[in-house]
Amino acid sequence: MSQSARAAGRFASLAVLLALVYVMPRWLGGSALVYSTFVTVAIFSVMAYGTDMVLSYLGEVSLGHTIFWAGGGYVAALLATRSGANGWATAAAAVAVALALAVVLGLTTLRTREFVFSLVTYAAAVVAMEITFNWAALGGSDGIIGIPKLMLPLPGRALSGSSSAELWPVALALLVLTVAFIHRFRRSRLGLAALMVQMHPDLAAALGLDPRLVRLRVFVISAPVSALAGWLYAYQRAYVGPDMFESYFLVLMLTAAVLAGRRVLLGPVIGTALILLQQNYLSLGGDGDRIVLGLVLAGILIFWPQGLVGLWQLAARRRRAA
Amino acid sequence: MNITQQLINGLVLASGYACVAIGWTVLLGAARLVNFAHGQLYMLGAFVAWAVMDKAGLPYWGSIPVAVVAVGLLGAAMQRLMGRLMLEHNLTSLMIVTLGFGYVVQGGAARIFGGEPHSIRSPLARGSIRMGELWLSGQDLLVFAVTAVLFALVWFVLERTRVGATVRAVAEDPKLAQLFGIDASLVYLGVFVFEAATVAFAATVVAPHSPILTSMGFDEVILTFVVVVLGGVGSVLGTLVASLGLGLFTAFFGALVSPAYTTAAAFAVVLAVLVLRPAGLAAK
Repeated sequence: MSQSARAAGRFASLAVLLALVYVMPRWLGGSALVYSTFVTVAIFSVMAYGTDMVLSYLGEVSLGHTIFWAGGGYVAALLATRSGANGWATAAAAVAVALALAVVLGLTTLRTREFVFSLVTYAAAVVAMEITFNWAALGGSDGIIGIPKLMLPLPGRALSGSSSAELWPVALALLVLTVAFIHRFRRSRLGLAALMVQMHPDLAAALGLDPRLVRLRVFVISAPVSALAGWLYAYQRAYVGPDMFESYFLVLMLTAAVLAGRRVLLGPVIGTALILLQQNYLSLGGDGDRIVLGLVLAGILIFWPQGLVGLWQLAARRRRAA
Repeated sequence: MNITQQLINGLVLASGYACVAIGWTVLLGAARLVNFAHGQLYMLGAFVAWAVMDKAGLPYWGSIPVAVVAVGLLGAAMQRLMGRLMLEHNLTSLMIVTLGFGYVVQGGAARIFGGEPHSIRSPLARGSIRMGELWLSGQDLLVFAVTAVLFALVWFVLERTRVGATVRAVAEDPKLAQLFGIDASLVYLGVFVFEAATVAFAATVVAPHSPILTSMGFDEVILTFVVVVLGGVGSVLGTLVASLGLGLFTAFFGALVSPAYTTAAAFAVVLAVLVLRPAGLAAK
C-alpha cells in the first residue's frame, strides 16, 4: 500500500471512530445526564491537557492552570453578557487573555524550577481567586450569572446551544482540535526540545537549546488550551464564579494527566472519563469522591508510576512470557 | 492608626507564619523534600485538638500532645508509602502524591468532623494584656514564645549536633551518606514526622485565633510558603526574617490599604523578589 493510501485509510478509520463517539450519547439513552457527562468529560479533558503539556513534556507541576481555566470562563461570561459577543469572539478573547496571563506568569517564574515553580504558580492562583472574589466588576463572590446560549455562526448555518445535548458537537470538536494540537506539538521541534530539556539537559545545552525559552514557550502555549475549556464550561453552566479556582479542578487536572500514563496522547481523556464515571454514576458523596480522587492520584504515582497504560503493557508482557 | 499596635499585630502575625513554616523549612532545607499536604495537616492538627477538647473533654493543654502525636503518626504512614519516591528524590511525583494525600485528608476530615466551622477555645485567648492603648492576647504571647523556642531548638539541633550533621549529609547526597553507614530512609522518616508534628503543634497554638473549617487547607498556609520561598529555601534564619517582614507588611497593608487584598499584595512582593533574586533573599 502506498503512503498516501495508508494515510487515507487512517483518516477514514479516524472519521468512523469520531462518528461513533459522536452518536454514542444517543445510543446510551440520550438522557440529560448522559449528555452532560459526555460534554463535561470533553471539557475537563481539554482543561487537563493544559496541565498535562507542562507535566508530561516539561516535568513541572503547574498549580496555576486554574487561572487560565477560570480566565477563559470569565472572559466568555463578561463579553457574552455585557456586549453580546458571539462564541468566536469570546473564544478569541479567551485565548488572547490566557496568552497574556501566561506570558506574565511565565516570565516571573522563568528562573524558578520544581517546587518553587509549583508554589509560585499556586500562589498566583490564590491571588487570582482573591481578586475575582473581591472585585465587583467581575461579579465578586456571586460570579456572573445569566450567560446567554453559545452562538457560533458558520458559513451556511450556525451552531448554537445552551443544553448539554446542544453543546455536545461543540465540545467534541474542541476536544478533537485539542488532541490534534497536542499530537502536532509532540512532533514539533518545540515538543522534542521540551522533552530533551527535561530528560537530557546536558545534551539539550550541547545542541544550543535555551532551556528557559523552551519552558516559557511550552507554558505559554499550554494556557489557551485550559482557557478554551473554561470558555465552554461558562456556556454549559450559564454561570461563572470564583469556584472555578477550587482545588477540585487542580487535583482533577493532575489525576487525569497521570491516571492513564504520562505522555500518552489520549491519557487525559481516558483519565477524565474514568474519574467522571465514578463521580456521576458511583458517587460516594462529595467528601467520599474527594477521598477516592486523592487516593487514585497518590496511589497511581506510588504503585504504578507508568499509569494504567504501563500496567496494561506489564500485563501483556507477562502474558507473552507465560 | 496606632503604629505601635500595628507593630505588635505584625509581630504576632509573623510568629504565626514562622511557627507554621518551620516544619516545611526543615523538610526542604535539611532533606530537600516537599509536602503539599502541609495545609491539610495543619487543618487536621487543629481539628484533632478541637475534637479532643469538645468530645473527650480534655483541657486545652491536654489536647496539644494528642494532636501532635496523631498527626505525627499520619506523617509517618505517609512517609512509609512514599519511601521509594523519596530515595529516588522524585520531586515531581512527591509534589503530586502529597497533593493527593492532602485531598484525602480533607475529604476524610470532612466526613469525620463535618463541614461546620468550629473554634478551639484556648484559655489564653480570652485573657488580654493591655498597656494603655495597646492590646495583646495571652494566646499571642504563647505563639510568640513557642516560635522563639522552636526556632532556637531547630537551629541548635541542625547546626550544633550530630543528628543535625547526619540530616544535612543525607540532604546533600543520600547515596553517599548511605555509604558512610547512615540509614537515609530513617532520616527521611524522622524529618517527615518532625514536619507533620510541628505543623500540628503550630495549629494548636495558632488556630485558636480564628474559626477552623475542614476545607481550609493549602490556602490557609499559603503565606507560609511565601515565607519559605522568600527566606531562601530551607534557610532557618531566612524563614524567621521573611516571616517578620511579611507579618509587618501584612499588618500595615491591612490597616493602611485594604485587608481584602493583603494576600495579593504580599504575593506581588514575592514576585518582585523572585524576579530580582530567584533563590530567595538569603541566597549568597
